[in-house]
Amino acid sequence: MTTKTALLGAAVATLVATGVAACGSSSNGGGGGAKGGGTLTIQGDAGNPTLVENFNPFVAATELHGGYLMYEPLEFRSPIDGTFTPFLATGHKFTDPKTLDFTIRQNVKWSDGTPFTPADVVFTFNLIKKYPALDGNGVWAEISSVATSGNDVTVTFKAPNVPFAGIVAKTPIVPEHLWSSVPDPAKFTNTKPVGTGPFTLDKFAPTQYSLKKNPAYWQAAKIAPSEVVFPAQSSNQATNQLDVSSGKFDWSYNFLPNVQKTYVSRSKNNVYWFPPGGVITLYLNLTKAPYDDANFRKGISLALDRTTIAQKAVNGYLDGASQSGLILPNLKKWLDPSLPDQGVVKQDPTAAQAAFTQAGYTMQGGKLVKDGKQASMSIVMPNNFTDWVAAAKEVSSQLGQAGIKVSLDLPQFPQYQSSIQSGTFDAAIGGFGGTGDPYTDFNNALNSSFAAPVKTPTANNFERFKDSTVDQALATLAAATDPEAQQQATHTLEQVMYKQVPAVLMYYGGSWGLFSTKNFTGWPSAANPYTLPTNYDGSLLLVVTRLTKA
Amino acid sequence: MPYLVRKGVLFVVTLWAAITLNFILPRLMPGSPEDAALGKLASAGVPITNAERHAVEIQLGVPHTNVFTQYWDYLKNIVQFKFGHSYSFPSETVAHTIGKALPWTLVLVGATTVFAFVVGTLLGVFAGWRRGRASDTTVTLGATFFAAFPPFWLGLLLLYFLAYKNGWFPIKGGYAEGATPNWSPSFLADAFKHSVLPALTLAVTTLSGWVFGMRNNMINILGEDYVTFAEANGLRTRTVALLYAARNALLPNVTAFGLSLGAVVGGSVLVEGVFSYPGLGNLLYIAVTNHDFPLMQALFLVITVSMLVAIFVVDLLYARLDPRVRRA
Repeated sequence: MTTKTALLGAAVATLVATGVAACGSSSNGGGGGAKGGGTLTIQGDAGNPTLVENFNPFVAATELHGGYLMYEPLEFRSPIDGTFTPFLATGHKFTDPKTLDFTIRQNVKWSDGTPFTPADVVFTFNLIKKYPALDGNGVWAEISSVATSGNDVTVTFKAPNVPFAGIVAKTPIVPEHLWSSVPDPAKFTNTKPVGTGPFTLDKFAPTQYSLKKNPAYWQAAKIAPSEVVFPAQSSNQATNQLDVSSGKFDWSYNFLPNVQKTYVSRSKNNVYWFPPGGVITLYLNLTKAPYDDANFRKGISLALDRTTIAQKAVNGYLDGASQSGLILPNLKKWLDPSLPDQGVVKQDPTAAQAAFTQAGYTMQGGKLVKDGKQASMSIVMPNNFTDWVAAAKEVSSQLGQAGIKVSLDLPQFPQYQSSIQSGTFDAAIGGFGGTGDPYTDFNNALNSSFAAPVKTPTANNFERFKDSTVDQALATLAAATDPEAQQQATHTLEQVMYKQVPAVLMYYGGSWGLFSTKNFTGWPSAANPYTLPTNYDGSLLLVVTRLTKA
Repeated sequence: MPYLVRKGVLFVVTLWAAITLNFILPRLMPGSPEDAALGKLASAGVPITNAERHAVEIQLGVPHTNVFTQYWDYLKNIVQFKFGHSYSFPSETVAHTIGKALPWTLVLVGATTVFAFVVGTLLGVFAGWRRGRASDTTVTLGATFFAAFPPFWLGLLLLYFLAYKNGWFPIKGGYAEGATPNWSPSFLADAFKHSVLPALTLAVTTLSGWVFGMRNNMINILGEDYVTFAEANGLRTRTVALLYAARNALLPNVTAFGLSLGAVVGGSVLVEGVFSYPGLGNLLYIAVTNHDFPLMQALFLVITVSMLVAIFVVDLLYARLDPRVRRA
């Protein structure tokens, strides 16, 4: 089924591209989204096939994106560069590496008129402690207590973890006076959401819901739209692309092929921004030979032409990735200046050959051979992630030229997930980074403590990298509040990433923001990159509070 | 009546086999529901961590009892019509989710099936009667042409030209965004507008089967002696074509029609998918991609049971229509 969907996607892409090209500047398919100027239309949640009303902000499976505009976090950390934007807290500071103080905003009211207090914050944290199903970010794995002191809320960590402040801060805060009487919040169907956010629920229908402006919002003067409408997405990608291209939305999030023709040229107000949101990576199973040999991995890294891979996978919207482990330019302030070419590895067959020789391989008749056996690898990826599949095909042909026999394994996502987590794969395509915080990016991918034995599932560090230098640097970084020490430790991690190649970073995965400036301006852009254009997470709140009327 | 008893017993045994397969098959799919739920998050760009995985496991409450206990519970629940809560929509019961989708499929696929059967059969009679002439060639060629279209592809073409380029029809859904289903004339008109393209797709692509079947049966029957006899008796052409030939040629098509009515409940996964129609086919696709066992089981159960009932009814009807069957 999924291959068919992928086929459909490709088919419709061709259709749209050729159709639009054939008609030149055809009339704008204007299904006008915002009548009266005050309505913001955002392509919303995937209707399956219809939406189910439940604004429980803790249950990811049933999440409705509109919830982000009703339940505010303490602060939101930009996934681009880690900058914090305050919401229910006015700021935070570490009094020591294990003690985090949030100063709570005053004169904020819940949308039912009850005053918001620091006690609500403590209640929320204790709620997700009592019901671990609500703790999708694993907050209580890191912290040991949350308490109020006057107008502050103090979070105590089990061990120093300064970068974890971003995760703690993004917890959605719910009102104690309503949630304390909910019998099981994990199963709670929340149809009357009361939050502190800029919008409240107005109308809910099976294919669309709308929110209206909360006049009592603490920064109501900054909120431009009077109404936000979320029409449900189709489960069919091709249909969604046609919907987006027909110009219905002020903000949608979709990969469109040939975006100039399929979107930009269709209205003078249409703009797009596709910043890097993560690194698409070739992971090698480090518990297996020859992938456990850094020289072999270096050879693979040098044998790949990352620009071509990015060209094939994401139409060249984004470029090949830096092997430093940093998403550039987002995180450039952390870049170790001693890395050549900002850590970008260029294809170099001679150097690759030299690395393979050091790993004990010789080239015989176009085949890379050791002990009479040709080097081979099977790369696993989900069959419906079409850009990953395109990248893997290119990798396969490039490594083929280097003498390695590559085969592709394309199961459905669940099987892919269980094979990488259990550590039974050879090689896998996967994502790296994208949290905006180098510590979290490196820690998720490289921390030895996650490297479970093969057959014991782990979602973090599934390539099972173990290195004491890395663990040391991660521990230092976790405890560091001084910028100089943070830089030092981050540089160490970049060096390991670059030299030992625990994972082959290939190209930047895109974040596909499509905007219309007809009704509102102030969208995130290359000139003003305050957050990613993702409309399904905390960025939604940040963007909506920054929009101005066009 | 031993014929009836035989068919009745067969029905019960097949039903049990289908119910059991329905339990086994989803569990043979590689990967677990947790992984599928994580997949949804991953494709939305959420980084998958051990913490996220743990929370998802608790939320879904996937059973960890042994398979035989699960099977026994499953049989008990079926008898009581209890299908539980789905993993994809935990706040609704499976029965409610299916109940919402069922009418859309029944009306859309049911109406187009009947329409395709009636029109296709009539065209088949016409082509068979005028076999070898220009009108036969036109109908047969036309049917071959449309039969070669994969339904989802035709759907996409219609969607692109009639909905996207011209805006005559809506791009997706069963009714306008923001509307709540009700019986008001304006809602019904809107729903009708949304159903035109999917209905057209289904009708055009299924029509040909009926045309071919009927035309070939007709040609066979027209060679029979009693038709020649009727013609020799100087009966009116229409009487011979409809009452002598078509009536007998219809028998195999009736069987097939019964079966396709049984299949209506399964919806049309691809066509409903292309048009994001809120029916059972679309729901089935979502259930399978999410490894939503409770929803999948209930859907397959509804589909197999309606298919089996249709076969049973056709068997009974056939005995009425063709006396030879009763003695076989």
